[in-house]
Amino acid sequence: MNHRALQMRLGIGAILAAVFLMIYAIPNWVSSPSNVRNIVLSPLFWPYILGALTGLMGLGLVLSGWRAAAGEPVNEATGDPRAGALRLVAFAVLTAVTFRVMPQLGMVWTSMLAFLALAFLVRTRHPAAAVICAVVVPLILYAFFAHVASVAIPQGELVRLP
Amino acid sequence: MSLYDSVMAGLALVGNFEAFLSLAIGIVIGVVGGAIPGISATMAVALALPFTFPMEAINGILLLLGVYKGGIFGGSIPAILIKTPGTPASSATILDGHPMAEQGEAGRALGMALWASCTADFVSNLALIFFAGFLASFALSFGPPEFFALILFSLTIIAGVSGESLLRGALSALLGLLLATIGLDLVYGTNRFTFGDPNLMGGLNFIAVLIGLFAIPEVINMVWHPTGHMGKVQKLGSKWVTFADYKRSFRSIIRGSFIGVFLGSIPGIGSAPAAFLSYSEARRKSPNKANFGKGEIEGVAASEAGNNGVAGATLIPLLALGVPGDVITAIIIGAFMVHGLQPGPMMFVLNVDIIYGLFIGLILSSGILFIVGGLAIRGFRPVADIPKRILMPIVLVLCIYGVFAVNNNIFDVGVMFVMGWVGFAMMRLHIPPAPFLIAFILGPLLEDNFRQAMLMSGGSPEILLRGPITWFFWTLTVIAIVAITRGTMRAGRAGG
Repeated sequence: MNHRALQMRLGIGAILAAVFLMIYAIPNWVSSPSNVRNIVLSPLFWPYILGALTGLMGLGLVLSGWRAAAGEPVNEATGDPRAGALRLVAFAVLTAVTFRVMPQLGMVWTSMLAFLALAFLVRTRHPAAAVICAVVVPLILYAFFAHVASVAIPQGELVRLP
Repeated sequence: MSLYDSVMAGLALVGNFEAFLSLAIGIVIGVVGGAIPGISATMAVALALPFTFPMEAINGILLLLGVYKGGIFGGSIPAILIKTPGTPASSATILDGHPMAEQGEAGRALGMALWASCTADFVSNLALIFFAGFLASFALSFGPPEFFALILFSLTIIAGVSGESLLRGALSALLGLLLATIGLDLVYGTNRFTFGDPNLMGGLNFIAVLIGLFAIPEVINMVWHPTGHMGKVQKLGSKWVTFADYKRSFRSIIRGSFIGVFLGSIPGIGSAPAAFLSYSEARRKSPNKANFGKGEIEGVAASEAGNNGVAGATLIPLLALGVPGDVITAIIIGAFMVHGLQPGPMMFVLNVDIIYGLFIGLILSSGILFIVGGLAIRGFRPVADIPKRILMPIVLVLCIYGVFAVNNNIFDVGVMFVMGWVGFAMMRLHIPPAPFLIAFILGPLLEDNFRQAMLMSGGSPEILLRGPITWFFWTLTVIAIVAITRGTMRAGRAGG
C-alpha cells in the first residue's frame, strides 16, 4: 500500500465510521433525557460534533490522497506475509483464550502458558530460557502484586498459591 | 504558606532513603528501558506505573519521573552504538553519534550525550521550579470557559505536531475523543456507548488504554515480524569525553536546553522536534558546520541537550494547568490520579508539600542520572543482548499484571488487548498513537468545561470569549491552526 492508497482508505474508512456513528450508533447507543432544553447541554451533542468532525477529517484524507502522488510503499515488506498473518491470527486466539480462561485457571498459570505460547509463536532461539522465564516472571509478579501491593490476583479454581 | 515553609514541607517528604531510592530505581529502569530498542521511554513509564500503586504518592511519582528522565537519556545509547534510537527523542543523536561510533569514538560520544543530558535536565528542572508556580497562581483565576479555551489550544497543538501527516494525527485525536465519551454522561448520568455493561459505565480504564496502545502493539509487531533484529553494536573505543569538549559545546548545550524548555512547556510538542531544532541551530551557528553529520561532538551535545531540556519543562503545563506536556507526562497523570491527586493549579494550594518534594527530587535526579548514565554506558552490551523474543513475552505478562492491578478487574485486561490491536492497526496505517492518548485524557476535561460554561451562561456561547484569558488562548489556537495549515500546505507542495 502506497501513501496515496493509505490516505484514500483511511479517508473512506473515516467517512463510513462517521456515517455509522451519526445514523446508527449515536441515536441507538447514547441516551438523553427528554427534558433537555438546550441542545448544547444534551449528552448527544458532543458525540454528534465528534462524528461530524470525523466525517470532515475523512473527507480531508480522501482529498489529500486524491491529490497526492502514489509514492513508495508505506510499510516495509516482510519475508513471508502469509506466515505473518497466520501468526497474527494465532496471537489473536492467544489473547482471547488468555482473557477467557484467566478467571478459571488463575492469572499466574494463564500468564505462564501465555508466555510460553508467545515465545514459541515467535520461534525463540532460547527455548530453555523461555521456559525458565515463563515460570519465574509470573511468580515474581504474583509475589509483588499479591504480597507487596495487596492486589487480589485471581487464583483460579485449580491450583492456589500461598 | 511561605516559600521557606513550602520547601521545608517538600524536604520532609523527600528527605528520606525511600524517596531517594525510588528516584534512583526509576532512573535505572528508564536508562535500561530507553536503551532497549522497542521498549522506549514511553513504554518503560507505562510498564513501571502499576508498580507504583503500593508506594507513597511522592515516591511513586518520583520513580516515574526517574524513568522518564532516564529513558530519554537511555535512548541515546543504542542511537550511538547501533544506529537505532531507543526512543524517538534520540533520532537526532544518530546524525553525529553513530558516525563517531564508527570512527571508534563511541565512548566520547556517549560521554558527551550524558554530560549534555544532565546539564539540560538541570536547566529544565530550574525552569520548571521558576515557572510552574507562577503559571499556577495565574491559572487559579481560570473558570470553565478559560479551561475550555486552554484545552482546545492544547488539542490543536497536539494534532498539528503529530508526525508525518496532520490529518492522520487529527483523526487519531478524534478517535481518542470519541473513545473518551464511553461511560455515563457527565451532567445527566445517562449511558453513552455502554451497551448496558456495568464495566463500561465508568468509561474505559485509562491505564488499560495507554498500555494497550503503547506496549501491546510492540508485542504484536514482534509476532508479525519476529526476525526484525538489531544492528551491530559498536565498541566504546578508548577515547573519552574531556572537559575541553564540554567547554567547546557549552554554548550549544545551553541553547539546546532553552530550546527544549521552550518547546517542552508548550503542550504536545515533545522532545524529538526540540532535539532536531537544537541540532539545526547548533549546526547553523557552529564554526565546525561542515563536520556536522560526519561525527561532530557538538552535534551530539546539541541533540541531547534539546531532548533532555524538554523533560522538566513538560511538567510545567502538567503541574500548573493539569494539561500533559507530552505523551509521557500524560501517562504520569495516571500516577497522580491513582494516588488521589489532581494536577493543576489547585495542587499548588492543597498539596504544596508534594509539589516542592517533586521539585527537590527533580533537582537530585540530574545528579543521579549522571552516575547511573555513566554506569549504563559501560554496561550496555548485556542490555543489547537480551533476546527480543524473550523480552516481548515478559512485556506481555507485565502488561497483564499491571493492568489488572489498577482496578482488580479482568475486564481491563480485555480492554488492553483490544486497544493493543487498535494500536497495531494504527501503527500499520501510520496513525500516530500519541494524539489519541492525549485526546483521550483531555476529552472529558474539554467536554466537562464546555458544558459547565454552557450551564453558567444558560447556553450562550458568548461566555467562551468572556475575557482576556480566553481571548489569549483563542488567539493562540487560531495562530496554531494557521501555522499548521500553512506548514502542511508548504510540505505538500515541496513533496509534489
